Amino acid sequence: MQIIQSAIGWFLGLGSSLIVMFVLLILGLGFRVGFAKALRGGVTTAVGLAGLFLVVNVIISALQPAVQAIADRMGIAKAIVDVNWADAGIAWGWPGTAAVILSIIVVNILMVVLKLTKTIWTDVWSYWHGSALAGIIWALTGSVAWGVVGGVIYLAVGSLMSDMTAKKYQEFNDMPGIGVPCGTTVQASLFAMPVVWLLDRIPGVKDWDASPEGIKKRFGLVGEPMILGLILGMIIGIFAYGGTGTDFGVAKILTLGMNVAVMMLLLPRMVGIIAEGLVPITMSVVQFMKERFKNREIFVAVDCAVLLGHPAVMASSVILFPLCVLLAAILPGVQMLPIASLAVIPFWAGAVVPYTKGNVIKTVIVLLLYSIPFMYFGTLTVDQHTLAFQNMGQYAEQIGQGLKLASWDVGGDILGFIIQSLFKLFGLAAM
Amino acid sequence: MAKLIAVVCGAGINTSTIAEDQIREKVEREGLRDVEVKRILYPDIERFIGMMTVVVSMTKIFRTDLGAPTVQGMPFLIGTKEEKEALLDKIIQMVKAA
Repeated sequence: MQIIQSAIGWFLGLGSSLIVMFVLLILGLGFRVGFAKALRGGVTTAVGLAGLFLVVNVIISALQPAVQAIADRMGIAKAIVDVNWADAGIAWGWPGTAAVILSIIVVNILMVVLKLTKTIWTDVWSYWHGSALAGIIWALTGSVAWGVVGGVIYLAVGSLMSDMTAKKYQEFNDMPGIGVPCGTTVQASLFAMPVVWLLDRIPGVKDWDASPEGIKKRFGLVGEPMILGLILGMIIGIFAYGGTGTDFGVAKILTLGMNVAVMMLLLPRMVGIIAEGLVPITMSVVQFMKERFKNREIFVAVDCAVLLGHPAVMASSVILFPLCVLLAAILPGVQMLPIASLAVIPFWAGAVVPYTKGNVIKTVIVLLLYSIPFMYFGTLTVDQHTLAFQNMGQYAEQIGQGLKLASWDVGGDILGFIIQSLFKLFGLAAM
Repeated sequence: MAKLIAVVCGAGINTSTIAEDQIREKVEREGLRDVEVKRILYPDIERFIGMMTVVVSMTKIFRTDLGAPTVQGMPFLIGTKEEKEALLDKIIQMVKAA
């Protein structure tokens, strides 16, 4: 028994990259993708994970002093650092990853057989929302098993939400047969339904619109994450360092802008490498599931990125970027300025435009309201969120010195917050 | 000049990767030289107009000004083996014809 325990301890001590490499190698062999593809997939995801943590390290060292300086100078407490998709590192690197993947496949097959859902959960990459939440619940409860339970509940509810939205997505995007059970994206659609209904009944607002092409011509550059990062970083830099030192802080302001630009471009790239390694397993899961349910009406789960084609998506996003930062800056009790998390807005917009029929103004109103709970929940869950990183051995030194990490997409997730609250309600929280 | 198969999606993270993988394998199998397969973000696409030979879009194609023939890549995500193979053949033909 003791040998097993110390063997497990040794394995977990290898760190998330090596763990995920072995886990994906074994899963890949289990799903019969062949040894070469299984190994290449495992190593690719491991490399992506390591790269992700490197990039996040850059941004933590650049942003933490800046938000701290703003807090000191202006007396506003916005000291939580936004790491957004660094949560993919929790998702694929925490000890329960493999259990989440296998459990949701089994639970989903059961749900489809029992006709509880029409969505087959084939998009392995998008399990990450559930798996990251699972990692946070692991931190919250101190139990890997409860983490897995929480993550799988989240993903199972996601398939029900996909059932409710699939037809609309299919019609609007001309993509028969798809469903999108992803995290905060599909929740944005559910949120949009009543809000759009209401907006359509307010005289004046009802017919208010703006042309996506016009917005794109004027603000198109800001739609590129890299440029957005540069600008946002410099604005934060002005508040943090403006007027200090012999050069009035210009060097520091420019450097912060560049660092945020680095993050905005490289964070999704690293996440892309993580996803690349999962492709062989995804292909095998799609085939496996489709063959089992070929004689029924099913929705095949795909990534929310497929919803981003409509021009109103980027147009509403570039309007929302500054509005959301401003809103987070003035809302009392919100302790994180969204920077990296802004990258999730286009995905939300993709889920909302089918309901606003591509109306930019209505999409902006819906999502500005939708972002508010994310701002508060991201702040409220920051302790377990930070602990999850710490438990994985990431940024332990800075966290020891008081660094706090949060995000919208996972930390602020409405459904995720409800599930975390249930664990607390049942007295399972260890912190 | 090398020909470019652009796999376009909203985020360049997941869906385009899945398609890119299959197209690249096909290009290698066909022994085509001078054909590059590249993932492109929708917001970045302006920079590539004029350089693309074929656009494989993982989202609905709402635009008509991309300067290259466009196909819908959804079968790479949810299609059967036959559908994928047919789409790959179509893409290769388009590249050869360009």
